[in-house]
Formats: sequence, C-alpha cells, structure tokens
Amino acid sequence: MMRIIINECKKALTSPILIALFILFSAFNIFVIISSSDHKEELKMVNEIIDQYGKDITDNSMERFESDIQMDFAELSRMTGSEFTSVYEFLDGLRFEDQEKYNDEQWEFFNRLQLKEMYLNTAKSIDESYGEIDIRKTAESEIKKYGLSGNAAETLMNEYDKFSERFDEMVNNGEHKQWFFAGKAYFMHSFLFKTVFLHIIIEALLLIVLSTALITTYEFENKTHLVAYSTKRGRKLMKNKLLASLAIATTIIVFLFAITLGTFFTVFDYSQIWNTSISSAFNWEYNFPYVAWWDLSVGTFLIGLIALVFIVLLLFVGLTFALSVVVKNSYITFFSIAALFIFMWLLPSFMPTSSILLFVFAYTLPTLLLAIGSSFMGSSGLIMFENFEWMTISCWTVITLAVSFMSYIRFKKIDIS
Amino acid sequence: MLVVKDVSKRYGDFTALQQVNMEFNTGLYGLLAPNGAGKTTLIKMLATLITPSEGEIQYNGKNILEMDEQYRDLLGFLPQQFGYYKNYSPKQYMLYLAALKGIGKKEALQKIDELLDKVALSDVVNKKMKKFSGGMIQRVGIAQALLNDPKILILDEPTAGLDPKERARFRHLLTELARERLVIISTHIVSDIESIANEIIMIKNKQLLYKDSVEKICATLNGNVFETTIDFDYLEEFRKKYVLLSEKQEYGKMIVRFIHKGAPEMEWNSVPSQLEDVFLYEYRDVIEGEE
Repeated sequence: MMRIIINECKKALTSPILIALFILFSAFNIFVIISSSDHKEELKMVNEIIDQYGKDITDNSMERFESDIQMDFAELSRMTGSEFTSVYEFLDGLRFEDQEKYNDEQWEFFNRLQLKEMYLNTAKSIDESYGEIDIRKTAESEIKKYGLSGNAAETLMNEYDKFSERFDEMVNNGEHKQWFFAGKAYFMHSFLFKTVFLHIIIEALLLIVLSTALITTYEFENKTHLVAYSTKRGRKLMKNKLLASLAIATTIIVFLFAITLGTFFTVFDYSQIWNTSISSAFNWEYNFPYVAWWDLSVGTFLIGLIALVFIVLLLFVGLTFALSVVVKNSYITFFSIAALFIFMWLLPSFMPTSSILLFVFAYTLPTLLLAIGSSFMGSSGLIMFENFEWMTISCWTVITLAVSFMSYIRFKKIDIS
Repeated sequence: MLVVKDVSKRYGDFTALQQVNMEFNTGLYGLLAPNGAGKTTLIKMLATLITPSEGEIQYNGKNILEMDEQYRDLLGFLPQQFGYYKNYSPKQYMLYLAALKGIGKKEALQKIDELLDKVALSDVVNKKMKKFSGGMIQRVGIAQALLNDPKILILDEPTAGLDPKERARFRHLLTELARERLVIISTHIVSDIESIANEIIMIKNKQLLYKDSVEKICATLNGNVFETTIDFDYLEEFRKKYVLLSEKQEYGKMIVRFIHKGAPEMEWNSVPSQLEDVFLYEYRDVIEGEE
C-alpha cells in the first residue's frame, strides 16, 4: 500500500511543470513581501510599546506612556530650544533649510517620537471612536449599499442585532484596547491576511488541482491504464491515488505556507503582537474596525485561518479527484475546476436581493477562500454571519465526500478500454 | 478452469460479442480473428477491464468479477497497446507494477532481473524507455505480464513490433510457459501461433466459430483446397469464380491456391489445407472489406 502511494506521489514530485510553478510562486511571494517592507522598522515600535507598557491599554499604562512621552517632549525642547506639546507642532514649523541642523540620531528620535505620539493619540481616541459606532446604522447602510429588501434585509438585520451584542461584549471585555500596528497607516491585517494569504491560496490551489488531476489521470494519459487496472490492486488503485493526492497537497500547502509566512515573519516583527486581540482598535483600516465574533488573539486568528485554508484546499483535492476520475483528462479537469470555482464565486450575484438565497449561495468554498481575511469577522458585509465558516466547511465536506465516493463507486464498475 | 459462459457485450446499439461460450484449460490458446472481430473485447473481459452485458466468466466455478483481487492475482496481461512511462527505466516501471501486483520489493527486484534477462533486455535495465524501439517496449510488456508468475497469461497481439528473430524466441518462450499455465494469445498473424497453439479460437459474426486443434480446423477444408497454374489474363475471371487464397507469379504464369467445394477439374492439384487457408476462407468478406 505505502509503496503504491509513494510511487503515485513520485509522479507529481517529478513533474517539471509543478516543480517550476512551485519555485516561481515561492520566489514571487518572497518578492511581494520584501518589496512591501519599507516600513518594517517603524512596525517595531508596537513591540516596544507592548514590551514596556503591556499589551492592554489601561488607564495606568496610558498614564505611564504619556508621562514618558512628556519626558521625550522635554528632550525635544532641549534639542530644539523651543517648547512643544507635540512633535507634529515641531515638524510642521520646521523650515526646509533647518532640517540639516539635526543629526541622524536626532532625526531618529523625532521619528520615534512621532510614532509614539501617533499611537498615544489613537489610543486616547478609542472610546470616542467606538462610542460613535452604531451597529444598527451600519446594518442599514449595508442593506442600502447592496439594495437588499424583504427576507434578505430582515435576515441581515437580525444577524447585525446579534453582532451588536457581541460588539458590546467585545467593548466590555476591552478586546479593542490592545496594541496592534496602526491599521490606517500600515494596513498590516490586509497585507498579511488578504494579500499574502490570497497569493498562497491561489498558488496552492493551482498546484493542488494540477497535481491531483495529474496523479488521478496519469494512467489514462500515459495509456498505462490497461496494465495498471488489470493488476491485483486493480481499480482500488484510485484510492491510493486519492491518498497520494492528499499527501502531495499537504506537502504543497506546508511548504508554501512555511516559505511565505517564514519570510513574512522574518521581515516583520510580530514577536510581541501574538497575544493582542484581532479586534484591536488599531486594527481599523477602512470605515469599520475588524471585530471578530469571538475573542481571538492575532496568533489564534492566524492559526485559525491556516486551518481553514488547509481544510478548504483538501476539499478541493476531493472535488478535483471526483471530476478527474470521470473525465480522465488533466487539462479538462483543470479548466472545469477553474470554471466551477468562478461560477460558485459569482453564484450569489445571480440571486434576487430580496431572498435569503443571496446568503445561502455565498456559503461556498471560493467565497470563503477569496474573503479569507474577513473570516471569523462580524464586520465582513454579506458574509458576516457567525456560522459562515463552520457551516460552509461542514456542508462542503459532506458534498465533497459524497461526490468523491460516488465517482469512485462509478469507476469501480465502468468499462476501462 | 476458465469458462466463458453465454457472454455478450453490447455498447449501446452495437453488439461486439453475442452468446459466446468457451472453456480454457492449461495450454496455449490462439485467438485468431481479423481486427475488429471482437478479440480485444473478449480479452478485456478476461482481464476484468470490461464487464459482460450478459453472461459471466468463471474461474474454477467462481465469477471472476466477484473473485476480484484474487482472480487478478493469477493474471498476467499484455494489452494490445502497451503503455509505459517514458521517463522510467524498465526496472523502475516494473517495480511500480510489482507494487500494484502485491509483490514485495526484494522479491520483485530479483524477479525483474530474471525476467528482463529472459527477454534479452538485461543491458538496458536502467535506461529510460523513451529511447527504446517498439520491439524492446513489447519485450518489457511481455516481462511485466510474467512478474507475478501468473496462472493465466493473456497476451493481446504480443508479436507486434517484434522482428523475425524476436518472434522465434518469443514462440519458444511461450511454449515453455504454456506447459504449466493457461496462455491465451490473440493475433491476426497465423504463423505466430500455428505451430505452437494447442487450440485455435476463431470468432466470426460476433460469435464463436471454431475452438479446436489446428488439425481439426484444417480438416474442415480437407479436399477443398487446390492449386493450379493459369494464364495471367485469366486471373480476373478466376478470382470471380473461386475463393482465392494466394497467388504467385512463375515463368509468366500464375500459380493460384483456392477453395472449391464441388467436383474438381482435371488440371487442379488437391493440396492439404492449412490454418491460413481456413482463416482466409472464413474471413474473406471482412478481409476484402478491409482491402
């Protein structure tokens, strides 16, 4: 059994196109991360703040932080010879020709102070900003934005009511009062969980669909099917091919994640951030902060997302397997899966905006994958439902198991000629 | 031993085989029919690759489809188009097939060396097969069919691509193998099996025509095969009148071999019938159609 699986894996591992694509994708990801890393030094400030004042923004820690900054202001005054209550005041008043009056070390001090002040000001304004948030109004504006009516509008409103409770709970817990990279300045959440994850997802998906189709259809494409399926193992070989495809998919996912996230966390310092809540007020990039349905730390959120991606990609192995056993051609399989992926992703847009089918048909694997950065969030528009991730995964696990099983049973009976 | 019982195979409206019955025991069977007569269909059914639409095939009283692995464990099969992995060496490919046949690696390695030697490929054991000639590939195919020391060996057009020397060696190998197992060879080349087959099976109009020894099949035309010398100009007319088996030119005249089932003419020589004669006679419509 094991020898057969290893032999099947070898077929994918020695495929020049798969190897070339894997190297290309890895290099591309490293390039994307490094070329977006101009601000990596600035990001270290949050780690320093957490190191000194703890991850929670409390009255006490704010007091200490503020008094330290006051000392910095005193230092600033000493350096410049004038009184400032904000580094911005100094910078705004700085004339071009005066810039050279200060050495590198002093500039470093100004820049650091500027960052500290930015974080302090944002932290100070948290209560005010969150006080302005009215979940019901947000719901209404979402409903208006998508032109929802009838059942759809009602369902979304109900979910927002539920989310409103969670929002209050989150605020009471103080999950939002934890230090994280300033969202509006660096967009680190979007960069990691949307851009980088999306790269990994699309690349892994391509490699996995190709390798699964390659392994499954290998005998038919090399015309060795008559020999292979008339051996003792016979058509049960397909089971080994499925296991081999899963093993190869796992390998691809592990290596692609390891290379890409390895690079990411080497370049960007997250050392003190892991325990910060993902619903931190600093994790506010656009109109609405990221607010998760559960109290999740950055580390847990990352692991959760990796697990989601891993499961969904393995489900794609199953779906690809089911299809390629029937069509017996790797290219047709590949393009059919691609078409199916796009079709499922577009499915909700064919639904009436008054029907809950609009939401039901969004419970698909492509929607889950392409909106991966918004997973577990109550702030993610039409897929903000609390049960979105686990329902999608559960339903599609059942569907995938069923179609793979039916496809295999059919293959056991059909003529091979 | 191996029994084909009332087997029919239909593909939609097309019938490939109808109500075929036959029995195989130890020995060498030659399945002789022109292309398209249903040989490959029968063989693929014997290899469990396709399922009969009606009837069943039994091995020692058990349906081979129900026996599943147990049956295929006894089977060695070389299909008409033997596919292989171009970038694999014969050894690598046979190791893979050995795994599929449930043979342990150590045992397989020994067996592979032995078999590749038997088919005279020991010099190229580790060479990639993409550089192999058709004959060499065919010999790999024969070797892989023998990997599991099969009780039932089925070879579909095994001599395709082999040169005369290889064919002779192959016939020798088959005779040796058929001493203790059932060997079924499908071919449309009479000379491949004429001298070595214990029995010949002929399929015609989707049904079994003959399943008998070469002598008995030849006897069906005894006294009906003649040779005579005619003028070249007369050939066309002669062709229309009789079933011509062969013709050859000699000293400006034609020596023709033909079949006639009535009273012979004076100048005709009655000659003993051969398997080739029966083949050409029985399949005259199909063969003419092909031409």
